[in-house]
Amino acid sequence: MKLQVVSCSHRVAALDVREKLAFSTDEQLARAYQLLKLSFPGSESVLVSTCNRVEVYTAQEDAEHPPGRDEIARFFSDFHHVPLEIFVGDLLSQSGPEAVRHLFSVVSSVDSMVLGEPQIVNQVKEAYRIAQEHDACGPLTNMLFHRAIEVSKRVRTETRLSEGRVSIASVAVGDFGQSIFDRFDDKTVLVIGAGEMAEETLRYLKDAGVGQIVVVNRTPDRAVELAAAWGGAARPWDELDRWLAAADVIVSTTGAERPIVDAARFAKVRAETGIRPVFILDLGAPRDFDPAVGAVDDSVFLYDIDDLEKTCAENRRLRSRELEKAQRIIDEATETFMQEVYYRATGPAIARLREEWHDIRQQELDVLYQKLPHLEARDRAAIERSIERIINKLLHPPLKALKDEAREGPPHGLLEALKRLFLRE
Amino acid sequence: MDVSVFCFLASYLCAFGLECRRLYHRTGLTRACVLLFAAAGLVAHTLYLWNRHAQTGLPPLMSSTHDWVLVLAWMAILVYLFLLVADRQLAIGVFLLPLVLALVGLAYLVSREPTQIVRDTPEMREVAGRAWAMLHATLLVFGIAAAIFGLVLSLMYLVQHHRLRHKHARNEGLILPNLERLARLNNWAVVLSVPLLTLGLLTGVVLGWLARKGSESLSFSDPVVVGSAVAWLVLVAFFVWFAGTPARRTSGRQVAWLTVMAFGFLLVTLIGLQVLTGHLGNSWHAATEGGWSRSHEEASTLAEARAGGRIDVIARPAMPQLAQREARRS
Repeated sequence: MKLQVVSCSHRVAALDVREKLAFSTDEQLARAYQLLKLSFPGSESVLVSTCNRVEVYTAQEDAEHPPGRDEIARFFSDFHHVPLEIFVGDLLSQSGPEAVRHLFSVVSSVDSMVLGEPQIVNQVKEAYRIAQEHDACGPLTNMLFHRAIEVSKRVRTETRLSEGRVSIASVAVGDFGQSIFDRFDDKTVLVIGAGEMAEETLRYLKDAGVGQIVVVNRTPDRAVELAAAWGGAARPWDELDRWLAAADVIVSTTGAERPIVDAARFAKVRAETGIRPVFILDLGAPRDFDPAVGAVDDSVFLYDIDDLEKTCAENRRLRSRELEKAQRIIDEATETFMQEVYYRATGPAIARLREEWHDIRQQELDVLYQKLPHLEARDRAAIERSIERIINKLLHPPLKALKDEAREGPPHGLLEALKRLFLRE
Repeated sequence: MDVSVFCFLASYLCAFGLECRRLYHRTGLTRACVLLFAAAGLVAHTLYLWNRHAQTGLPPLMSSTHDWVLVLAWMAILVYLFLLVADRQLAIGVFLLPLVLALVGLAYLVSREPTQIVRDTPEMREVAGRAWAMLHATLLVFGIAAAIFGLVLSLMYLVQHHRLRHKHARNEGLILPNLERLARLNNWAVVLSVPLLTLGLLTGVVLGWLARKGSESLSFSDPVVVGSAVAWLVLVAFFVWFAGTPARRTSGRQVAWLTVMAFGFLLVTLIGLQVLTGHLGNSWHAATEGGWSRSHEEASTLAEARAGGRIDVIARPAMPQLAQREARRS
């Protein structure tokens, strides 16, 4: 029995390489599984393709010709029509316990770019589902992926690896915005500027159910574009004060060199609107809001990029503290899984041993019953039970020895000895 | 089953200790232990109140200040347990449990004996069984419970506000509701508590008037009545400000501070008066010497004495006021 993985992940390969090897559509995946079956008949396979990794897991009951790194590299090259030299150096190959540990780490988000991110488990589940759809899985990969999903669940519940947000926009909305407001569907969001960060923040705000979105930008075209993308409205720059007064959430990401809103200007706005909570995310660098704006009244909640980054860093630190605990769970699960795999490899020999001994038992019983025809059915049943017990007792020590040996690795030696000692040629 | 106040006080103390631990180390086991201790405390608490009811023959709300305070704590724990089950994260225990512990601790300080108003006058003993007395005690206890929750919500608001203004993200241990929800719940607590307390005081006036019909010495200058009226006036002033000021002129933080002050003053005054009435001989809310077993007997004797026109049998040293009153009447 053999398990291997050949992977190209964010740890070793740049995005432009990963892009070339990715399987992004269902059609591509269908063709890929066809090619894998043709190239490696008798091999089970699962393809995991996300933005951060492309991995091919293969497994065989018969370990004679497992596909190695070179074979999988050729498969990538043939499929994507990409010369080997472009990516071969970025491929990583692992087998046996290392491959198992790798999958468990991937699915538990220990190997992710953002430690503890929750999407990977669904991506792996989806990859496994697609492999099943294409009849590419077998007993080993089924066992492996089921176990991997169990391990990810264990890591999620027994550690705090997924707790705390780690991106600026998610911290802004999830940790601060949702600590101020109960709901967003009745809130007005003002976006000043139209930078990338504003767009990312809008994504989180939209997920939180935000109602009205207004984009104010010096360049109207970009404002219209951003507003259209998020179902908002673009307003001219000279309406800024009006919307500063109307907004409950203000996201600012202009490229201005000096603050565009100072305390005096904002105090004037507040005098009109009254003291209601306003959540200001100043994501500009340099800042768009003078820090003194935060002191205009005690219902102004102003956060700049440093405030948010501090929280992100703290959350990352807390997650890292949980890494060791997650690794322990993964190591333990890998060891248990491998023992099961090794023991499973002894299955055919054990089955044969049982079969032979039962044949012998049956032969001897037939001889005995011929010699003692007067035995009643009850006596025969008692004799059969006794012999069955003897066989089980005799089989117990070698089977236990096999199981114990499987803890350390494949029990090839012991298996061979058992075959020679107890099995007929 | 024999249960003492210490049984549930200890349970709540353990639950509070574990709640504090949850601030730093949040696990499912700690939460389960908090639930276990709080639920065990509630069971013991309920049994204790039941036993008291069996001893006194009156609902706990009306039998003594001791029982009344414990009913208040019992209600708070019931709500706490509900919130603990409904929200796995919410850290309300660190705010509510100290108040519960204070109330249970207070039960040691206040008298377990019946108040004079219930004990001394046969008319009141009759009235006590009626809806007015029950309504008076129930409205007050619900009003004070709403005030306790208003106080807790305002404290939570202030902590959350302080944290957000100082740019600290949602702490992993002290997980609190958002400001908008806290403000809304606090508004409800204020809107509920003021009418309930007002109605509670009004029913008290009716009750006093009923009592005065049978006992001339009951006066509305009773220190408990006067103190409660002052606390109520402060609360009404706060309520008028709260309802009359446009939302755009007040910040949530201001409202929270004023709620803490108004409800804090109300609770300190009412609870302080309950402690003091144990030592105020001239209050009809004060407890008297002797227990319920004697009280029943004395009340019967009083009734008999009044019916037979003789009063000398009740002139016992433990009840000089009562003797004087009955002597005047006869």
